[in-house]
Amino acid sequence: MKRLQRALGWLAVAGLAAGLVMAFGVAPREATQGNVQRIMYLHVPAILVAYLAFGVVLVASVSYLWGRAAGADRLAHASAEVGVVFTSINIATGAIWGKPTWGAWWTWDARLTSVSIMFVIYLAYLLLRAMIEDRERAARFAAVLGIIAALDIPLVHFSVYWWRTLHQPPTLLRPGSTPMDAMLVAALTINLIAFTLLSAYFVAKRVRLLKREQEVLA
Amino acid sequence: MPDNWSFVFAAYGLAALVLGGYWRRLARRERELATRERGSGGARRAPARRGESGSADPATMTRPS
Repeated sequence: MKRLQRALGWLAVAGLAAGLVMAFGVAPREATQGNVQRIMYLHVPAILVAYLAFGVVLVASVSYLWGRAAGADRLAHASAEVGVVFTSINIATGAIWGKPTWGAWWTWDARLTSVSIMFVIYLAYLLLRAMIEDRERAARFAAVLGIIAALDIPLVHFSVYWWRTLHQPPTLLRPGSTPMDAMLVAALTINLIAFTLLSAYFVAKRVRLLKREQEVLA
Repeated sequence: MPDNWSFVFAAYGLAALVLGGYWRRLARRERELATRERGSGGARRAPARRGESGSADPATMTRPS
């Protein structure tokens, strides 16, 4: 298991290196925004990986409430933590991208606001787990919150369709073909794969640590 | 539009800082757990599998204080 986790880590490092080469060496300069558009190769994969991590929290939470398996609870806990890390990257890089393109670090736009609410909900999820000493009770409460919190994911994604926003609509996860240049899509895809591998590595490592923590503290 | 390279490097630098910071946090936690496990003589650790260090020798087991 540890060997598999290590292999996953090295694959993620290789993926990130390939992603950097694609983002800075292969993908062309975007015609309208210039080189600042290269932030997209971080910003978009970060939120897609966060969606994935929070989706895992949902499935693992349902599974925990169904069968009370400690492994499902550990998976939900680890995924929530990793999802929060990637959401923080998404919000921070979005603010940095927003300043030169929109002229503002932050605006109360539907997408920005809903993603920030999602971030705070999952922070509250982690806080809830830390606050309750009884492990079984913490797991049960967290599982319920993990299911309710997932309702915000479609709200974040579709906010750009449901409200009039400054944020552009999705370029990858949209109906029909993407309007982006093939090379830009390739760079984005490689970075998305790299981020997915990295998040899988983090989740696997965190799950193992949680198991060991529970064994040590038992 | 100007290229704004400083914003690009700031974004990538910040992301590297966050990801590196999280990785270091996990590594530190792993070291702390290894120290604790060694400190308790492997008493509360699950039986070691083949190829793993550390044992759960009943002779060295102690009750949690």
